[in-house]
Amino acid sequence: MVNMDKILVVDDVTKEYPGRLAISKVSFAVNKGSIHGFLGPNGAGKSTTMKIIAGLMPSSSGSVSVLGEKVTPKNFKLKNLVGFLPENPPLYLDMTVEGYLKLVAKLHNVKNISTQVTKVIEELSLIEVRKRLIGNLSKGFKQRVGLAQALVYDAPFLILDEPTNGLDPQSVVELRDFIKRLSKEKTILFSSHVLPEVEQLCDQITIIHRGRIRATGDIHQIHQKFRQGLVIRIGIGEREVLPELSLFGKYEITSDILIGHERQFHIVFENDHDCRSDLGKFIISKGLNLLTMQVESPELEDIFLHLTENRS
Amino acid sequence: MILTIWKKEIESYFTSPLAYVLIGLFSLITGIMFFNLLVTYTDGIQAIPQHMAQDISFVEEVVIRLFANINFLFLFFIPLMTMRLLSEEKKQATIDLFWLSPVKEWQVVLSKGLAALSLIFSMLLMTIIFPLIVWGVGIKDFSILGSAYLSVFLNACCYISMGLFFSSISHNQIIAGILSILGIIFLWMITWGGHLNSNYLVSEIFNYIGITSHFERILRGLIGTQDIIYYVTFVLFFGFLSVKSLGRRNW
Repeated sequence: MVNMDKILVVDDVTKEYPGRLAISKVSFAVNKGSIHGFLGPNGAGKSTTMKIIAGLMPSSSGSVSVLGEKVTPKNFKLKNLVGFLPENPPLYLDMTVEGYLKLVAKLHNVKNISTQVTKVIEELSLIEVRKRLIGNLSKGFKQRVGLAQALVYDAPFLILDEPTNGLDPQSVVELRDFIKRLSKEKTILFSSHVLPEVEQLCDQITIIHRGRIRATGDIHQIHQKFRQGLVIRIGIGEREVLPELSLFGKYEITSDILIGHERQFHIVFENDHDCRSDLGKFIISKGLNLLTMQVESPELEDIFLHLTENRS
Repeated sequence: MILTIWKKEIESYFTSPLAYVLIGLFSLITGIMFFNLLVTYTDGIQAIPQHMAQDISFVEEVVIRLFANINFLFLFFIPLMTMRLLSEEKKQATIDLFWLSPVKEWQVVLSKGLAALSLIFSMLLMTIIFPLIVWGVGIKDFSILGSAYLSVFLNACCYISMGLFFSSISHNQIIAGILSILGIIFLWMITWGGHLNSNYLVSEIFNYIGITSHFERILRGLIGTQDIIYYVTFVLFFGFLSVKSLGRRNW
């Protein structure tokens, strides 16, 4: 039975190039109406996976389905249901922005071409460049035209391969806001290197490394799953010495920095139990000034590094 | 869909200097050739006694030679037009735009082929001025003009289909262009091989596979079914190979 809550189901997909395994037994799903982050270092297999999902190349084994339809390069039913912005957008540099978007709309048999093209041009703030040749535009505008290409036929599912890559900070913020707005009506799978960006935008993530899925699911659940013990930040006076804390179980001080007149320590306790109350009393009983005490959750970056370094 | 891609290709030809350079150069070279042939023809007529002048045919001396030369010019002009058609799209990955939309490989090949053929058509259109000039000076022997145009047009169809195929197998347009030139020369050489072979059957096979014998027959107005079958088969064969080559991404 087709699960309609899942707009995309990638099941055990492997892609083999002659003499090289690009991705191996990749499985994950994307929920309808979500923004799903696809993370991985360079060469991890993100673009290959995205191309297979977009129907641009076949997998060696396994299956991909979008909206219950099996994805193959020849499945023409899906062509108007999936919008894809590849890492290098397929732009005709000798065409004007408007002419190019009209061409894409025609190729996708869009009915109200002028209305749809104008709508996308306005949404992506391309009005001032609509009559200019794409080849003469800045990288930021080219990226926006690439995104407009994926939007002009109003597909319900969007695949964006590193959409903010190479953009200036202003354009990144604008594009991020736009993606956030888009997610109200569309499901989005997007890859990025910028982990804070993924944390801001995504409800779900999939981490891929060396062609294999390392983690997939709800971003909060992944945080919980990969939480390595209890991380506490403690601040004491600048000339004070932190006492032995083995009373609270095995621990490791991961950083020791001086901020103004305060010495701050990041301490990772192997025991997950929240010992702040006893720890605070203990430090004060030793005659120290307890200036800061805070539990810290691991950043996505820590999880990402843990998953992509430890198993490499 | 075919019209959309054809229109895009035509716009692409005419927004770059390529189309203007090709049409201009082609008109200039054919103009010089026509002028030379005409001068040689009139000089020839004036140099012999008047009663022998009717033995020198305008059609043979000018029309046939001119169109044979146009066929030779295609050796360079058509590869220049076809070499980038698919190779550049593959290199820039713009071809993905077609594969992301409900466009089929054959539609891409056909529209690009038709776009190149349209450019050839506009080049040949420029040569219409030559018969008009000679008509103006009283020479009205144009019995084979229609078939002469048909012969170069059919040859152009073959060269374009072959050029498109070479463009589809390479990411490098220079390589695609060189392969197209070599391909056309090879087509001519097959017929030369047929002339050199003493075995009748082998010679006939070479003659049929090579393009020259078909071209020469149609050029002289002798349009036979076997010639039409040859041209249709040739274009379909290379069209099929191009479609298969583009579909190779699915293998």
